[in-house]
Amino acid sequence: MIRWILFVLLVLYIVVPLLMPVIFSFSVFWQDILPQGFTLRWYEAILTRPANYEALLVSLTVAFGAVLLNLVITVPAAYALNRAGPGWGQRLREGAVILPLLFPPLVVGTALLQAFTRPPLALTGTIWMVIIAHAILGFPFMFRLVLAAFQTIDERTLSEAAASLGATFWQRMRYVLIPNVMPGILSGALLVFAISMGEFEVTSMVAGFTAQTLPLRLFQQIRNDMRIASAITAFLIYVSFLSFVLMTYLGARMRRLRA
Amino acid sequence: MTVTLRGIRGNISRLLRLLSLEVLLLIPFILFVGLFEIYPILNMAYRSLFDLNGNFTLANYINAFTKPQFRFAIRNSLLFATAASLVGGIGGTFVAALAVRLPARWRNLLLSLYALPMTLSGLVVAFAFIVLLGRNGILNLLVRRAFSLPPTFYFNLYDWPGIVMVYAFFQIPLMTLSMSAVFENLDPNLIEAARNLGARSWQVWRYVVIPVLLPGFLAGMSIQFAGMMGAFGTVLALVGMAKNLLSLQIYSHSSESTYNLPQAGALAMVLITITGTALLLLSWSARRLARRGA
Repeated sequence: MIRWILFVLLVLYIVVPLLMPVIFSFSVFWQDILPQGFTLRWYEAILTRPANYEALLVSLTVAFGAVLLNLVITVPAAYALNRAGPGWGQRLREGAVILPLLFPPLVVGTALLQAFTRPPLALTGTIWMVIIAHAILGFPFMFRLVLAAFQTIDERTLSEAAASLGATFWQRMRYVLIPNVMPGILSGALLVFAISMGEFEVTSMVAGFTAQTLPLRLFQQIRNDMRIASAITAFLIYVSFLSFVLMTYLGARMRRLRA
Repeated sequence: MTVTLRGIRGNISRLLRLLSLEVLLLIPFILFVGLFEIYPILNMAYRSLFDLNGNFTLANYINAFTKPQFRFAIRNSLLFATAASLVGGIGGTFVAALAVRLPARWRNLLLSLYALPMTLSGLVVAFAFIVLLGRNGILNLLVRRAFSLPPTFYFNLYDWPGIVMVYAFFQIPLMTLSMSAVFENLDPNLIEAARNLGARSWQVWRYVVIPVLLPGFLAGMSIQFAGMMGAFGTVLALVGMAKNLLSLQIYSHSSESTYNLPQAGALAMVLITITGTALLLLSWSARRLARRGA
Protein backbone atom coordinates (compact mmCIF):
# COMPACT_ATOMS: atom_id res chain seq x y z
CA MET A 1 0.00 0.00 0.00
CA ILE A 2 2.73 2.45 1.01
CA ARG A 3 4.52 1.47 -2.20
CA TRP A 4 1.57 2.65 -4.31
CA ILE A 5 1.16 5.91 -2.41
CA LEU A 6 4.86 6.58 -3.04
CA PHE A 7 4.43 5.63 -6.68
CA VAL A 8 1.62 8.16 -7.12
CA LEU A 9 3.64 10.86 -5.32
CA LEU A 10 6.66 10.20 -7.54
CA VAL A 11 4.53 10.42 -10.68
CA LEU A 12 3.06 13.69 -9.42
CA TYR A 13 6.56 15.02 -8.72
CA ILE A 14 7.27 15.01 -12.47
CA VAL A 15 3.78 15.65 -13.79
CA VAL A 16 2.63 18.57 -11.60
CA PRO A 17 5.48 21.00 -12.38
CA LEU A 18 5.21 20.21 -16.09
CA LEU A 19 1.45 20.80 -16.07
CA MET A 20 1.92 24.36 -14.74
CA PRO A 21 3.14 25.95 -18.01
CA VAL A 22 0.58 23.93 -19.97
CA ILE A 23 -2.34 25.21 -17.88
CA PHE A 24 -0.87 28.71 -17.92
CA SER A 25 -0.61 28.66 -21.72
CA PHE A 26 -4.34 27.92 -22.16
CA SER A 27 -5.65 30.46 -19.65
CA VAL A 28 -6.55 34.09 -20.24
CA PHE A 29 -4.87 35.01 -17.00
CA TRP A 30 -3.61 33.27 -13.90
CA GLN A 31 -3.00 35.59 -10.97
CA ASP A 32 -4.80 33.73 -8.23
CA ILE A 33 -4.88 30.08 -7.20
CA LEU A 34 -7.12 29.08 -10.08
CA PRO A 35 -6.54 30.17 -13.71
CA GLN A 36 -9.23 32.19 -15.51
CA GLY A 37 -10.78 31.57 -18.94
CA PHE A 38 -9.61 29.52 -21.90
CA THR A 39 -7.70 30.88 -24.89
CA LEU A 40 -5.38 29.83 -27.68
CA ARG A 41 -4.12 33.40 -28.11
CA TRP A 42 -0.64 32.73 -26.70
CA TYR A 43 -0.05 29.85 -29.10
CA GLU A 44 -1.29 32.08 -31.92
CA ALA A 45 1.39 34.56 -30.89
CA ILE A 46 4.08 31.98 -31.63
CA LEU A 47 2.86 31.66 -35.19
CA THR A 48 1.83 35.24 -35.95
CA ARG A 49 4.57 37.35 -34.35
CA PRO A 50 7.48 37.33 -36.81
CA ALA A 51 10.19 37.19 -34.12
CA ASN A 52 8.60 34.10 -32.52
CA TYR A 53 7.81 32.40 -35.80
CA GLU A 54 11.33 32.95 -37.12
CA ALA A 55 12.76 31.55 -33.89
CA LEU A 56 10.59 28.46 -34.36
CA LEU A 57 11.91 28.00 -37.90
CA VAL A 58 15.52 28.50 -36.75
CA SER A 59 14.99 25.93 -33.97
CA LEU A 60 13.55 23.36 -36.38
CA THR A 61 16.36 23.94 -38.90
CA VAL A 62 19.02 23.58 -36.19
CA ALA A 63 17.41 20.45 -34.75
CA PHE A 64 17.17 18.74 -38.15
CA GLY A 65 20.72 19.82 -38.95
CA ALA A 66 22.06 18.41 -35.69
CA VAL A 67 20.21 15.12 -36.29
CA LEU A 68 21.58 14.79 -39.85
CA LEU A 69 25.12 15.58 -38.73
CA ASN A 70 24.85 13.01 -35.94
CA LEU A 71 23.54 10.34 -38.33
CA VAL A 72 26.66 10.74 -40.47
CA ILE A 73 28.99 10.62 -37.44
CA THR A 74 27.30 8.21 -35.06
CA VAL A 75 26.13 5.29 -37.17
CA PRO A 76 29.50 4.48 -38.81
CA ALA A 77 31.35 5.14 -35.52
CA ALA A 78 29.03 2.89 -33.52
CA TYR A 79 29.37 0.13 -36.13
CA ALA A 80 33.16 0.37 -36.10
CA LEU A 81 33.53 0.66 -32.33
CA ASN A 82 31.17 -2.24 -31.75
CA ARG A 83 33.57 -4.39 -33.77
CA ALA A 84 36.73 -2.92 -32.26
CA GLY A 85 38.46 -5.09 -29.69
CA PRO A 86 38.82 -4.62 -25.98
CA GLY A 87 42.00 -2.49 -26.31
CA TRP A 88 41.72 0.87 -28.04
CA GLY A 89 38.11 0.14 -28.98
CA GLN A 90 37.11 -0.05 -25.32
CA ARG A 91 39.08 3.11 -24.59
CA LEU A 92 37.32 5.02 -27.39
CA ARG A 93 33.92 3.71 -26.29
CA GLU A 94 34.60 4.91 -22.75
CA GLY A 95 36.03 8.18 -24.04
CA ALA A 96 32.85 8.94 -25.94
CA VAL A 97 30.97 8.63 -22.64
CA ILE A 98 33.45 10.54 -20.45
CA LEU A 99 34.15 13.42 -22.85
CA PRO A 100 30.81 15.19 -22.26
CA LEU A 101 31.25 14.84 -18.49
CA LEU A 102 34.70 16.36 -18.56
CA PHE A 103 33.75 19.08 -21.04
CA PRO A 104 30.29 20.29 -20.02
CA PRO A 105 28.20 22.30 -22.52
CA LEU A 106 29.39 25.52 -20.87
CA VAL A 107 33.05 24.74 -21.63
CA VAL A 108 32.27 23.56 -25.17
CA GLY A 109 30.38 26.81 -25.72
CA THR A 110 33.19 29.04 -24.45
CA ALA A 111 35.74 27.10 -26.51
CA LEU A 112 33.71 27.04 -29.74
CA LEU A 113 33.01 30.73 -29.40
CA GLN A 114 36.69 31.66 -29.68
CA ALA A 115 37.91 28.93 -32.03
CA PHE A 116 36.04 29.88 -35.17
CA THR A 117 36.07 33.67 -35.41
CA ARG A 118 38.32 34.01 -38.46
CA PRO A 119 38.07 32.81 -42.08
CA PRO A 120 38.14 30.17 -43.47
CA LEU A 121 35.94 29.02 -40.60
CA ALA A 122 34.26 32.19 -39.34
CA LEU A 123 31.35 30.26 -37.88
CA THR A 124 30.73 32.05 -34.58
CA GLY A 125 27.39 33.79 -34.54
CA THR A 126 26.06 31.83 -37.52
CA ILE A 127 23.45 29.12 -37.58
CA TRP A 128 26.20 26.63 -38.56
CA MET A 129 27.90 27.10 -35.21
CA VAL A 130 24.60 26.40 -33.42
CA ILE A 131 24.06 23.23 -35.47
CA ILE A 132 27.60 22.03 -34.70
CA ALA A 133 27.25 22.82 -30.99
CA HIS A 134 23.94 20.94 -30.76
CA ALA A 135 25.42 18.00 -32.66
CA ILE A 136 28.26 17.82 -30.10
CA LEU A 137 25.81 17.90 -27.18
CA GLY A 138 23.58 15.24 -28.71
CA PHE A 139 26.38 12.94 -29.84
CA PRO A 140 26.99 10.94 -26.63
CA PHE A 141 23.28 10.21 -26.22
CA MET A 142 22.81 9.04 -29.79
CA PHE A 143 26.10 7.13 -29.78
CA ARG A 144 25.09 5.15 -26.71
CA LEU A 145 21.71 4.19 -28.20
CA VAL A 146 23.09 3.17 -31.62
CA LEU A 147 25.99 1.24 -30.05
CA ALA A 148 23.51 -0.57 -27.80
CA ALA A 149 21.45 -1.44 -30.88
CA PHE A 150 24.48 -2.98 -32.64
CA GLN A 151 25.31 -4.93 -29.48
CA THR A 152 21.72 -6.11 -29.05
CA ILE A 153 21.38 -7.62 -32.53
CA ASP A 154 24.77 -9.34 -32.21
CA GLU A 155 26.00 -7.64 -35.36
CA ARG A 156 29.05 -9.89 -35.89
CA THR A 157 27.10 -13.12 -36.02
CA LEU A 158 24.46 -11.57 -38.30
CA SER A 159 27.12 -10.16 -40.62
CA GLU A 160 28.96 -13.47 -40.80
CA ALA A 161 25.76 -15.31 -41.57
CA ALA A 162 24.92 -12.83 -44.34
CA ALA A 163 28.47 -12.95 -45.70
CA SER A 164 28.42 -16.75 -45.82
CA LEU A 165 25.33 -16.44 -48.00
CA GLY A 166 27.37 -14.25 -50.36
CA ALA A 167 26.18 -10.77 -49.34
CA THR A 168 28.70 -7.98 -49.99
CA PHE A 169 29.42 -5.30 -47.40
CA TRP A 170 26.87 -2.89 -48.85
CA GLN A 171 24.23 -5.58 -49.20
CA ARG A 172 24.77 -6.59 -45.57
CA MET A 173 24.36 -2.96 -44.53
CA ARG A 174 21.36 -2.29 -46.71
CA TYR A 175 19.33 -5.46 -46.11
CA VAL A 176 20.51 -6.83 -42.78
CA LEU A 177 22.19 -4.40 -40.42
CA ILE A 178 20.52 -1.02 -40.97
CA PRO A 179 16.95 -2.40 -40.84
CA ASN A 180 17.82 -4.22 -37.63
CA VAL A 181 19.36 -1.26 -35.81
CA MET A 182 16.77 1.19 -37.18
CA PRO A 183 14.83 1.48 -33.88
CA GLY A 184 18.08 2.44 -32.13
CA ILE A 185 18.98 4.99 -34.80
CA LEU A 186 15.49 6.51 -34.72
CA SER A 187 15.51 6.70 -30.91
CA GLY A 188 18.87 8.43 -31.02
CA ALA A 189 17.66 10.85 -33.67
CA LEU A 190 14.59 11.70 -31.60
CA LEU A 191 16.71 12.26 -28.51
CA VAL A 192 19.08 14.57 -30.39
CA PHE A 193 16.10 16.42 -31.85
CA ALA A 194 14.48 16.91 -28.45
CA ILE A 195 17.74 18.02 -26.81
CA SER A 196 18.40 20.48 -29.63
CA MET A 197 14.90 21.98 -29.51
CA GLY A 198 15.29 22.77 -25.81
CA GLU A 199 18.98 23.72 -25.65
CA PHE A 200 19.58 27.15 -24.17
CA GLU A 201 23.00 27.33 -22.50
CA VAL A 202 25.41 26.80 -25.38
CA THR A 203 23.08 28.42 -27.89
CA SER A 204 23.04 31.64 -25.93
CA MET A 205 26.84 31.70 -26.07
CA VAL A 206 27.54 30.85 -29.71
CA ALA A 207 24.45 32.17 -31.50
CA GLY A 208 24.53 35.69 -32.81
CA PHE A 209 21.48 37.74 -33.62
CA THR A 210 20.99 35.76 -36.82
CA ALA A 211 20.38 32.45 -35.07
CA GLN A 212 17.79 33.22 -32.39
CA THR A 213 16.28 29.89 -31.41
CA LEU A 214 13.00 29.37 -29.57
CA PRO A 215 14.64 28.89 -26.13
CA LEU A 216 16.57 32.18 -26.61
CA ARG A 217 13.25 33.86 -27.37
CA LEU A 218 11.77 32.19 -24.29
CA PHE A 219 14.56 33.62 -22.14
CA GLN A 220 13.61 37.15 -23.23
CA GLN A 221 9.90 36.48 -22.79
CA ILE A 222 10.25 35.17 -19.22
CA ARG A 223 11.18 38.75 -18.30
CA ASN A 224 8.73 40.50 -20.66
CA ASP A 225 5.55 38.50 -21.09
CA MET A 226 4.88 35.39 -19.02
CA ARG A 227 1.91 34.45 -21.22
CA ILE A 228 3.91 34.16 -24.45
CA ALA A 229 6.64 32.48 -22.38
CA SER A 230 4.08 29.94 -21.14
CA ALA A 231 3.09 29.00 -24.70
CA ILE A 232 6.73 28.53 -25.77
CA THR A 233 7.46 26.55 -22.61
CA ALA A 234 4.41 24.34 -23.15
CA PHE A 235 5.40 23.80 -26.79
CA LEU A 236 8.89 22.65 -25.73
CA ILE A 237 7.30 20.26 -23.21
CA TYR A 238 5.13 18.78 -25.99
CA VAL A 239 8.22 18.24 -28.16
CA SER A 240 10.03 16.39 -25.34
CA PHE A 241 6.94 14.43 -24.41
CA LEU A 242 6.18 13.29 -27.97
CA SER A 243 9.82 12.31 -28.51
CA PHE A 244 9.72 10.16 -25.41
CA VAL A 245 6.42 8.52 -26.30
CA LEU A 246 7.91 7.57 -29.68
CA MET A 247 11.16 6.42 -28.06
CA THR A 248 9.28 4.24 -25.57
CA TYR A 249 7.41 2.67 -28.49
CA LEU A 250 10.69 2.07 -30.36
CA GLY A 251 12.28 0.67 -27.21
CA ALA A 252 9.43 -1.82 -26.86
CA ARG A 253 9.91 -2.87 -30.50
CA MET A 254 13.62 -3.29 -29.87
CA ARG A 255 12.89 -5.53 -26.88
CA ARG A 256 10.49 -7.62 -28.96
CA LEU A 257 13.21 -8.05 -31.62
CA ARG A 258 15.62 -9.31 -29.00
CA ALA A 259 13.09 -11.81 -27.66
CA MET B 1 69.76 -1.35 -36.01
CA THR B 2 68.05 -4.49 -37.19
CA VAL B 3 65.98 -4.50 -34.08
CA THR B 4 64.64 -1.00 -34.71
CA LEU B 5 64.08 -1.79 -38.41
CA ARG B 6 62.08 -4.84 -37.51
CA GLY B 7 60.27 -2.69 -34.97
CA ILE B 8 59.38 -0.12 -37.61
CA ARG B 9 58.27 -2.79 -40.07
CA GLY B 10 56.14 -4.28 -37.33
CA ASN B 11 54.59 -0.92 -36.60
CA ILE B 12 53.82 -0.28 -40.26
CA SER B 13 52.15 -3.63 -40.75
CA ARG B 14 50.18 -3.06 -37.57
CA LEU B 15 49.18 0.37 -38.88
CA LEU B 16 48.04 -1.14 -42.19
CA ARG B 17 45.98 -3.71 -40.37
CA LEU B 18 44.41 -0.91 -38.36
CA LEU B 19 43.65 1.05 -41.54
CA SER B 20 40.80 -1.30 -42.27
CA LEU B 21 37.25 -0.43 -43.05
CA GLU B 22 36.50 0.06 -39.38
CA VAL B 23 39.02 2.86 -39.09
CA LEU B 24 37.71 4.53 -42.24
CA LEU B 25 34.24 4.50 -40.72
CA LEU B 26 35.61 6.27 -37.65
CA ILE B 27 36.94 9.19 -39.69
CA PRO B 28 33.80 11.38 -39.55
CA PHE B 29 33.66 10.92 -35.79
CA ILE B 30 37.36 11.64 -35.24
CA LEU B 31 37.31 14.67 -37.55
CA PHE B 32 34.24 16.06 -35.89
CA VAL B 33 35.34 15.59 -32.30
CA GLY B 34 38.87 16.70 -33.14
CA LEU B 35 37.89 19.86 -34.98
CA PHE B 36 34.90 20.94 -32.94
CA GLU B 37 35.68 19.70 -29.45
CA ILE B 38 39.37 18.95 -28.87
CA TYR B 39 40.85 21.75 -31.00
CA PRO B 40 38.60 24.51 -29.57
CA ILE B 41 39.42 23.44 -26.00
CA LEU B 42 43.18 23.34 -26.68
CA ASN B 43 42.87 26.71 -28.40
CA MET B 44 41.00 28.09 -25.38
CA ALA B 45 43.65 26.73 -23.00
CA TYR B 46 46.39 28.38 -25.09
CA ARG B 47 44.64 31.73 -25.31
CA SER B 48 43.96 31.78 -21.58
CA LEU B 49 47.73 32.34 -21.18
CA PHE B 50 47.57 35.75 -22.88
CA ASP B 51 46.09 39.07 -21.88
CA LEU B 52 43.70 41.08 -24.03
CA ASN B 53 46.63 42.72 -25.85
CA GLY B 54 48.20 39.39 -26.74
CA ASN B 55 51.08 39.41 -24.22
CA PHE B 56 51.94 36.22 -22.37
CA THR B 57 50.70 36.26 -18.79
CA LEU B 58 49.55 34.03 -15.97
CA ALA B 59 47.35 36.81 -14.63
CA ASN B 60 44.13 35.11 -15.71
CA TYR B 61 44.96 32.11 -13.54
CA ILE B 62 46.27 34.23 -10.67
CA ASN B 63 43.03 36.22 -10.83
CA ALA B 64 40.99 33.04 -10.68
CA PHE B 65 42.45 32.21 -7.27
CA THR B 66 43.00 35.68 -5.80
CA LYS B 67 40.12 37.93 -6.90
CA PRO B 68 37.36 37.61 -4.25
CA GLN B 69 34.72 37.52 -7.00
CA PHE B 70 36.23 34.37 -8.53
CA ARG B 71 37.22 32.77 -5.25
CA PHE B 72 33.65 33.02 -4.02
CA ALA B 73 32.45 31.69 -7.37
CA ILE B 74 34.67 28.61 -7.06
CA ARG B 75 33.67 28.06 -3.44
CA ASN B 76 29.96 28.50 -4.22
CA SER B 77 30.17 26.16 -7.20
CA LEU B 78 31.84 23.44 -5.13
CA LEU B 79 29.24 23.76 -2.39
CA PHE B 80 26.33 24.01 -4.81
CA ALA B 81 27.46 21.06 -6.97
CA THR B 82 28.04 18.92 -3.87
CA ALA B 83 24.66 19.79 -2.37
CA ALA B 84 22.75 19.29 -5.63
CA SER B 85 24.56 15.99 -6.32
CA LEU B 86 23.79 14.68 -2.84
CA VAL B 87 20.11 15.62 -3.16
CA GLY B 88 19.97 14.07 -6.64
CA GLY B 89 22.03 11.04 -5.66
CA ILE B 90 20.05 10.15 -2.55
CA GLY B 91 16.67 11.05 -4.08
CA GLY B 92 17.39 9.14 -7.28
CA THR B 93 18.60 6.06 -5.41
CA PHE B 94 15.42 6.10 -3.38
CA VAL B 95 13.21 6.37 -6.50
CA ALA B 96 15.14 3.57 -8.23
CA ALA B 97 14.86 1.35 -5.13
CA LEU B 98 11.11 1.82 -5.25
CA ALA B 99 10.92 1.33 -9.02
CA VAL B 100 12.54 -2.13 -8.97
CA ARG B 101 9.95 -3.27 -6.43
CA LEU B 102 7.06 -2.38 -8.75
CA PRO B 103 5.48 -4.75 -11.32
CA ALA B 104 7.26 -4.43 -14.68
CA ARG B 105 4.51 -2.40 -16.32
CA TRP B 106 4.42 0.30 -13.65
CA ARG B 107 8.18 0.32 -13.33
CA ASN B 108 8.56 1.02 -17.04
CA LEU B 109 5.99 3.79 -16.81
CA LEU B 110 7.83 5.40 -13.91
CA LEU B 111 11.23 5.10 -15.59
CA SER B 112 9.93 6.53 -18.90
CA LEU B 113 8.47 9.44 -17.01
CA TYR B 114 11.77 9.98 -15.19
CA ALA B 115 13.63 10.02 -18.52
CA LEU B 116 11.60 13.05 -19.62
CA PRO B 117 13.55 15.81 -17.77
CA MET B 118 16.74 14.73 -19.60
CA THR B 119 15.76 16.64 -22.74
CA LEU B 120 13.90 19.49 -21.06
CA SER B 121 15.34 22.95 -21.36
CA GLY B 122 16.59 24.51 -18.12
CA LEU B 123 14.29 27.41 -18.95
CA VAL B 124 11.22 25.18 -19.12
CA VAL B 125 11.89 23.86 -15.64
CA ALA B 126 12.66 27.36 -14.32
CA PHE B 127 9.34 28.62 -15.73
CA ALA B 128 7.41 25.67 -14.27
CA PHE B 129 8.82 26.28 -10.80
CA ILE B 130 8.26 30.04 -10.96
CA VAL B 131 4.55 29.37 -11.57
CA LEU B 132 4.46 26.71 -8.85
CA LEU B 133 6.67 28.23 -6.16
CA GLY B 134 7.53 31.78 -7.14
CA ARG B 135 6.75 34.59 -4.68
CA ASN B 136 3.09 34.44 -5.75
CA GLY B 137 3.26 30.88 -7.00
CA ILE B 138 0.34 28.51 -6.59
CA LEU B 139 1.77 26.57 -3.67
CA ASN B 140 2.82 29.70 -1.79
CA LEU B 141 -0.66 31.19 -2.30
CA LEU B 142 -2.32 27.97 -1.13
CA VAL B 143 -0.26 27.74 2.04
CA ARG B 144 -0.77 31.45 2.81
CA ARG B 145 -4.54 31.20 2.34
CA ALA B 146 -4.86 27.96 4.27
CA PHE B 147 -3.09 29.33 7.34
CA SER B 148 -3.99 33.04 6.84
CA LEU B 149 -0.35 34.05 6.73
CA PRO B 150 0.86 37.50 5.65
CA PRO B 151 2.15 38.01 2.05
CA THR B 152 5.69 38.28 3.42
CA PHE B 153 5.54 34.53 4.06
CA TYR B 154 6.66 32.43 1.12
CA PHE B 155 9.07 29.70 0.12
CA ASN B 156 11.99 31.55 -1.44
CA LEU B 157 12.70 29.93 -4.79
CA TYR B 158 15.38 32.51 -5.51
CA ASP B 159 17.89 31.49 -2.85
CA TRP B 160 20.27 28.49 -2.70
CA PRO B 161 17.80 25.94 -1.24
CA GLY B 162 15.28 26.91 -3.91
CA ILE B 163 17.85 26.67 -6.70
CA VAL B 164 19.03 23.26 -5.47
CA MET B 165 15.40 22.14 -5.37
CA VAL B 166 14.79 23.18 -8.97
CA TYR B 167 17.94 21.39 -10.14
CA ALA B 168 16.78 18.30 -8.24
CA PHE B 169 14.09 18.06 -10.91
CA PHE B 170 16.89 17.20 -13.35
CA GLN B 171 19.21 15.39 -10.95
CA ILE B 172 16.83 12.98 -9.21
CA PRO B 173 15.51 11.53 -12.50
CA LEU B 174 19.05 11.27 -13.89
CA MET B 175 20.19 9.29 -10.84
CA THR B 176 17.01 7.18 -10.98
CA LEU B 177 17.96 6.01 -14.46
CA SER B 178 21.55 5.12 -13.48
CA MET B 179 20.56 3.41 -10.24
CA SER B 180 17.63 1.39 -11.61
CA ALA B 181 20.13 -0.47 -13.82
CA VAL B 182 22.32 -1.08 -10.77
CA PHE B 183 19.43 -2.33 -8.65
CA GLU B 184 18.41 -4.74 -11.39
CA ASN B 185 21.89 -6.26 -11.16
CA LEU B 186 21.43 -6.91 -7.45
CA ASP B 187 20.74 -10.63 -7.35
CA PRO B 188 18.02 -11.45 -4.77
CA ASN B 189 19.48 -14.96 -4.48
CA LEU B 190 22.65 -13.44 -3.09
CA ILE B 191 20.72 -11.75 -0.28
CA GLU B 192 18.74 -14.91 0.31
CA ALA B 193 21.96 -16.92 0.54
CA ALA B 194 23.49 -14.47 3.01
CA ARG B 195 20.38 -14.69 5.17
CA ASN B 196 20.39 -18.47 5.08
CA LEU B 197 23.98 -18.43 6.22
CA GLY B 198 22.83 -16.55 9.28
CA ALA B 199 23.82 -12.99 8.36
CA ARG B 200 22.00 -10.33 10.32
CA SER B 201 20.12 -7.55 8.57
CA TRP B 202 22.97 -5.05 8.97
CA GLN B 203 25.48 -7.64 7.82
CA VAL B 204 23.46 -8.29 4.64
CA TRP B 205 23.57 -4.55 3.95
CA ARG B 206 27.20 -4.13 4.90
CA TYR B 207 28.64 -7.15 3.09
CA VAL B 208 26.19 -7.85 0.24
CA VAL B 209 23.95 -4.98 -0.78
CA ILE B 210 26.20 -1.94 -0.38
CA PRO B 211 29.28 -3.46 -2.10
CA VAL B 212 27.11 -4.28 -5.14
CA LEU B 213 25.45 -0.87 -5.23
CA LEU B 214 28.35 1.40 -4.31
CA PRO B 215 30.34 1.40 -7.59
CA GLY B 216 27.19 2.23 -9.56
CA PHE B 217 26.24 4.86 -7.00
CA LEU B 218 29.66 6.51 -7.27
CA ALA B 219 29.46 6.44 -11.09
CA GLY B 220 26.06 8.11 -10.87
CA MET B 221 27.44 10.69 -8.44
CA SER B 222 30.22 11.62 -10.84
CA ILE B 223 27.66 12.31 -13.57
CA GLN B 224 25.70 14.40 -11.07
CA PHE B 225 28.67 16.41 -9.85
CA ALA B 226 30.12 17.03 -13.32
CA GLY B 227 26.74 18.17 -14.60
CA MET B 228 26.18 20.54 -11.69
CA MET B 229 29.61 22.19 -11.95
CA GLY B 230 28.73 23.34 -15.46
CA ALA B 231 25.07 24.15 -14.90
CA PHE B 232 23.91 27.74 -15.26
CA GLY B 233 20.81 28.02 -17.51
CA THR B 234 18.19 27.55 -14.82
CA VAL B 235 20.00 29.80 -12.31
CA LEU B 236 20.29 32.49 -14.95
CA ALA B 237 16.56 32.27 -15.65
CA LEU B 238 15.71 32.35 -11.94
CA VAL B 239 18.03 34.98 -10.48
CA GLY B 240 20.07 36.38 -13.36
CA MET B 241 23.60 37.15 -12.19
CA ALA B 242 22.52 37.71 -8.58
CA LYS B 243 24.17 34.44 -7.51
CA ASN B 244 27.88 33.93 -7.95
CA LEU B 245 28.81 30.60 -9.52
CA LEU B 246 31.92 29.63 -11.48
CA SER B 247 29.70 28.61 -14.41
CA LEU B 248 27.93 31.98 -14.37
CA GLN B 249 31.30 33.80 -14.27
CA ILE B 250 32.46 31.85 -17.33
CA TYR B 251 29.19 32.61 -19.08
CA SER B 252 29.27 36.32 -18.32
CA HIS B 253 32.95 36.66 -19.29
CA SER B 254 32.33 35.03 -22.63
CA SER B 255 29.02 36.53 -23.67
CA GLU B 256 27.94 39.47 -21.57
CA SER B 257 29.10 42.99 -20.84
CA THR B 258 32.11 41.84 -18.80
CA TYR B 259 33.45 40.25 -22.00
CA ASN B 260 36.97 38.89 -21.44
CA LEU B 261 37.58 35.65 -23.33
CA PRO B 262 41.07 34.80 -21.96
CA GLN B 263 39.71 35.15 -18.42
CA ALA B 264 36.70 33.00 -19.33
CA GLY B 265 39.11 30.45 -20.78
CA ALA B 266 41.22 30.36 -17.61
CA LEU B 267 38.09 29.92 -15.48
CA ALA B 268 36.90 27.16 -17.81
CA MET B 269 40.26 25.38 -17.37
CA VAL B 270 39.84 25.64 -13.58
CA LEU B 271 36.38 24.12 -13.96
CA ILE B 272 37.67 21.26 -16.14
CA THR B 273 40.41 20.58 -13.56
CA ILE B 274 37.92 20.44 -10.68
CA THR B 275 35.51 18.20 -12.61
CA GLY B 276 38.36 15.99 -13.85
CA THR B 277 39.76 15.56 -10.33
CA ALA B 278 36.33 14.67 -8.98
CA LEU B 279 35.76 12.15 -11.79
CA LEU B 280 39.17 10.57 -11.19
CA LEU B 281 38.64 10.31 -7.43
CA LEU B 282 35.19 8.80 -7.81
CA SER B 283 36.20 6.29 -10.48
CA TRP B 284 39.33 5.38 -8.50
CA SER B 285 37.32 4.63 -5.37
CA ALA B 286 34.68 2.74 -7.39
CA ARG B 287 37.39 0.58 -8.97
CA ARG B 288 39.07 -0.04 -5.62
CA LEU B 289 35.77 -1.13 -4.13
CA ALA B 290 35.01 -3.37 -7.10
CA ARG B 291 38.45 -5.00 -6.89
CA ARG B 292 38.22 -5.58 -3.17
CA GLY B 293 34.84 -7.17 -3.87
CA ALA B 294 34.20 -6.39 -0.23
